[in-house]
Amino acid sequence: MITQHRIRRRMATTTPILLALLLLAFVALTLALGDRAAARMASETLIRVTLVVGFWIFAGNSGVISFGHAAFACVGAYVSAWTTLNPAMKATLLPGLPPALAEAHWHVLPAALTAGLVAAALALVTGAAILRLSGIAASIATFAFLAMVNTIWANWTPVTGGTSSVVGLARYVTPWVALGWAIAAILAASLYAASASGLALRATREDEVAASASGIDQYRHRLLAYTLSAFFCGVGGALAGHFIGVINPDGFYLSLTFLMLAMLVVGGIGSLSGAVIGVLAVSLAVEALVRLEKGFTLGTATFALPPGSQEIIIAVAMILVLVFRPAGLMAGREIMLPARWVTGRGTSQN
Amino acid sequence: MTLTLEQVGVAFGGFRALTEVSLAIAPGQVTGLIGPNGAGKTTCVNTLTGFQRPDTGRVVLEGRDMSRLPAHGFRRAGVARTFQAGRLFGGLDVLDNLACTGVGLGMRRAAAEQAAAEVLHWMGLEALESRPAAGLPYTDERRIAIARALIGNPDYLLLDEPAAGMSEKEAADLAGLIRRIATEKGIGCLLIEHNVGLVLSVCAHVVVLDGGRVIEQGDRATILGSAAVREAYFGADQAEAA
Repeated sequence: MITQHRIRRRMATTTPILLALLLLAFVALTLALGDRAAARMASETLIRVTLVVGFWIFAGNSGVISFGHAAFACVGAYVSAWTTLNPAMKATLLPGLPPALAEAHWHVLPAALTAGLVAAALALVTGAAILRLSGIAASIATFAFLAMVNTIWANWTPVTGGTSSVVGLARYVTPWVALGWAIAAILAASLYAASASGLALRATREDEVAASASGIDQYRHRLLAYTLSAFFCGVGGALAGHFIGVINPDGFYLSLTFLMLAMLVVGGIGSLSGAVIGVLAVSLAVEALVRLEKGFTLGTATFALPPGSQEIIIAVAMILVLVFRPAGLMAGREIMLPARWVTGRGTSQN
Repeated sequence: MTLTLEQVGVAFGGFRALTEVSLAIAPGQVTGLIGPNGAGKTTCVNTLTGFQRPDTGRVVLEGRDMSRLPAHGFRRAGVARTFQAGRLFGGLDVLDNLACTGVGLGMRRAAAEQAAAEVLHWMGLEALESRPAAGLPYTDERRIAIARALIGNPDYLLLDEPAAGMSEKEAADLAGLIRRIATEKGIGCLLIEHNVGLVLSVCAHVVVLDGGRVIEQGDRATILGSAAVREAYFGADQAEAA
């Protein structure tokens, strides 16, 4: 006999597929609009999906809010810049790079993977110290980590270019490239959530004390999720750099941190679907408001929102979500196929 | 072959919660631990399961000094426990609550779910399998907490006031379950209870704590005949009445 629990586990396997299809439809629709601004918005949104889903792997399963994930994006962006930029350009912009990096002129895909791996390695080392702290203390330590990375990047001028921007990154990130990485992040996140470690980490989120009475080594599972999560934030950072073509340390600091947090909170931190929906909802709302600020024509009249109203309206919308749906738009639920679709013929029961 | 405290002392600031406490939990038997409020029973359980490090003395499992092990290390070594509050993982369903112990013990997810289903079956609680743990009725919550502790057949199980708030009938059912855990699964149990009647009905050996010290231990007759136990439980009341 097939139990409700089994059915739910099977339904859960449909979540990444449905989310991938949703993003595919999103790309197809925005490209069908045929407008360059829409295509840019699609790439930007999907890069954010990669970042926020990466972030969710740790924050969603552990229940620990991290303020440090923008730092992994920063490191990822610079690693990709170091390895892909034209060596002649690096000689003038970044004279302090070690010879191996100064001469590197890699293809963008291995560079993106390396960006993720370096971010993950950094997470493994720093997480080893930070994640021994519990709950809120760990969150504050991740904030300190973010500030440290930003300060180092802003001052290590020969290697990072300091506060002046590094320019000339190959702008290869089309909506399709970004879609590929966003789907990879969603698959990894759902595999992790369904794994033994994912379950153990959710147990520590529900009750740390009872989890250790269940034999769960909280530190180990947190560190694993933190490292995996940093990988996708590192890749997301590399994509963001190659999307705009210009990077500087402040592009990966407080505003990105709060944007990622806001998207996760709006969508709902309790589910993977929440992370994806949060990014889509916030990105689409921002895009719509930006267009309204520019103005639109209705008959003979032209309407436009006063400039700057976009930020205010988004802030109000976030407050309303927090007030009326404190668990986010998805409230911890996943997008999945209904039970009767996954149980096959004749076995459906409820 | 026992789980023991050897001359254990625990102090919180200036307050000595346990002083030179020595006790042993025998395998396959139910040992009782009773004592008035504040006697140090929960501190005792916390020390026996790695949640509280002893300031002096040792915790020994079958000859091995456990004093420096973290709590999850105790569970993996075969020492399980429950809590006064059920402390289920509210956001997970019942089967996943049990499976958490399985993955904590190093099982893969499928094996952990299999082990969870077997324990639920053994306890006759299959019907609860897919229910969310948050919002279970009180007695079911307690039973699921015990089921979760039984995953992977631990050698010892420490039950911290499992009958608190239960009716006579429910407490009697619980007593039956604890006897089955000891006899059918061969698990050495420590039953911490306020309900002295329940303890005396289930336990072969009872330890009495008061003021952080062991004031008496022995079989049912010894406990019932002990002047020290009467003093600890009724002394204060008589003094007030006088």
